[in-house]
Amino acid sequence: MRALLVDDEQKFALMLSKRLELRGIEVDVFFSGDKALETVEQGNRFDVAILDVKMPGIGGIELKRRLGALDAQMKFVFLTGHGFNRDDTLGTHEAVDCLPKPLKIEELIATLNRLTEGPPGTYNDKP
Amino acid sequence: MMKLLNRIPALIWPRFHQKRDEHLNPYYTFQDYGQTWGMTIFILMSTALLPLIVMTLIYYQLIETSINTESLLRTERLASNARRAVTFFLEERLAALTFTANEMGYDRLSDSDRLTEVLQNLKLGFGGLTDLSVIADTGTQVTYAGPFNLEGKDYSNQPWFMECQQHNACVSEVFSGYRGVPHVVVAVKSMRPDGRFYVLRATLETERLIQALSSFKTGEHADIFLVNRDGLLQTPSQFYGGDDHHVNLTLPAYSDRTKAVMSTDRSGQPVAIGYAFIDTEIAPTAFILMVVKQKAGMMKVWLDLRSRINWLFAISAIIIIIVIILTSTVLVNKIFQADRQKAETMAMAERNSQLASIGQLAAGVAHEINNPLALINETAGYVKDLFMIKQQYKEDTELVEHIDTILDAVERCGTITRQLLGFARHFDVQTQPINLEDMVADVINFHKKEAEYRNITIHVDIPETIPLIETDRGKLQQIVLNLVNNAFQAISNGCFLDIQAAMDGPEHVRLSIRDNGCGISEAHLNKIFEPFFTTKKEGQGTGLGLSITYGLVQKLHGNIRVESKAEEGTTFVVTLPVQLKKEIQS
Repeated sequence: MRALLVDDEQKFALMLSKRLELRGIEVDVFFSGDKALETVEQGNRFDVAILDVKMPGIGGIELKRRLGALDAQMKFVFLTGHGFNRDDTLGTHEAVDCLPKPLKIEELIATLNRLTEGPPGTYNDKP
Repeated sequence: MMKLLNRIPALIWPRFHQKRDEHLNPYYTFQDYGQTWGMTIFILMSTALLPLIVMTLIYYQLIETSINTESLLRTERLASNARRAVTFFLEERLAALTFTANEMGYDRLSDSDRLTEVLQNLKLGFGGLTDLSVIADTGTQVTYAGPFNLEGKDYSNQPWFMECQQHNACVSEVFSGYRGVPHVVVAVKSMRPDGRFYVLRATLETERLIQALSSFKTGEHADIFLVNRDGLLQTPSQFYGGDDHHVNLTLPAYSDRTKAVMSTDRSGQPVAIGYAFIDTEIAPTAFILMVVKQKAGMMKVWLDLRSRINWLFAISAIIIIIVIILTSTVLVNKIFQADRQKAETMAMAERNSQLASIGQLAAGVAHEINNPLALINETAGYVKDLFMIKQQYKEDTELVEHIDTILDAVERCGTITRQLLGFARHFDVQTQPINLEDMVADVINFHKKEAEYRNITIHVDIPETIPLIETDRGKLQQIVLNLVNNAFQAISNGCFLDIQAAMDGPEHVRLSIRDNGCGISEAHLNKIFEPFFTTKKEGQGTGLGLSITYGLVQKLHGNIRVESKAEEGTTFVVTLPVQLKKEIQS
């Protein structure tokens, strides 16, 4: 599984990417929406994008719209430090996956697996 | 009927005397309702009763004055009539004597037989004459006709004789004279052909005079009599005669007209006295005619009337007082109720603004903390991941436990910040039609197992008449969930939970969730919607559940209130608009 992680909190993004990689997920980390868009425009493909909702420049919701336009297959998971529940709809009328920070890694993994219908990834499976 | 009777004390006894909520005191317009009530009653009574009292007193005064005037008039009229009778009585006899003297002349009158004949004729014509005599200018009696032989008697020193010389006629006072019988002497002076004068004198019985006077007596308390100018009684008095035959009343000053005055008798009783100084046309007399009437007798009718007026006054005063007390109580009660509503609204508005600012502060703090918290979480998580992979640390359970402690602490912090943020979220509200019954059933489903296990009865009563509610599903669900959670924590096994819905006017629906659990003490009741307020042990509750619920209800333009009694249970009542959009637009 290949994931795109975009979050302006650099240390957080790096730590999370390392944890995900430990669980067998290939992660490309970007600290802004522009860079992430560039990568996808260059033809890189990702199964899933993990986006922070609130970022300077292009925010998570705008980013989802534009990434979705580039790659219709891509799935999305939002992260938010602003405390909202998965019932909420971010002002759009579509249901989305949204996880609150601080994260529970197991929850994120489960969400990712559900979205990509990929194999369950836990560090125990990793040699 | 009994219900009505039971309501009467509540009508009279003002409601503001009931214990009122201490926390509302600063918001009342009037602090002392007892005083307001008392002042209202006092002012109303003063303005209503004072004129009534003054009018009644003035009326009494007027009536008394007019009764006095009336009784003086009547007394005066009576005295005037009696005076005319007495004057006429005397003048008639004086005229008869004058006629006799002129007709007969001295020579014939000095004949004893002729004089006796004249006496007989006069007695027939007038009556009341005892004797008749002719007295020479020397004062010696020349001839006498009558029952006593008084011929040759000398009257020159008698006051009536002297007066007769001056005035040509005279009327004496009543006196007993030589005979010891009360009588009045009337005499006229006449001239003889030789130029000397003589006096024709008659003695009158006073009985005739007394009879004439007593015919004027009217009423029990009237007295009528004659006195001389020294106050000596000339005819008997029924009430005012003293031991020495003097009248025991103050004598009036001389007046040539009949008069009446108000006075008091010796015992202090008020009396109306009518009097007249009797003078005949040809001779003055010493008589004063007095008519005395006791005022009490004349006042009797008025006193009866006054007692009736007093009764009427007392009854009207009582009715006025009752009406004033009832009206004041009802009005002051109404003011009090309005004031209490105002105070409640103000207290609630203040609490709302307090909660809003606390919420904003909390949300700001939570947001700032959240990012470092997420970093701690990921870093610690990564460290743990590394440990779990590298075999050398995997066996070191103590190290792994320490990291789990960090992760647990971060998770707890995360819960708090999430809830804090939820308290002041500003996300849009999405409305959709919701069937309240289905939604409550969904929420109850979460707790079904727990309820069965704890033997808790859940009773839901949502009538079919409740329409679909247009509101935010997620928020409403969370409100109900929070309140049901809350109730489950408050009740012990075997208790019940009662969820009811009803319309509150055409545009609002009221959802009440009642339990018979431990209840909330009065001291806590005002604080339960404040963030971080909890009665649970430290670490067991964040104290945010109800404040979040409160925030959610506000967002749905609703209203939440709580009624509770310690050890009896708690009822939360949520009132929501049936159509949220309409409510927002208005």
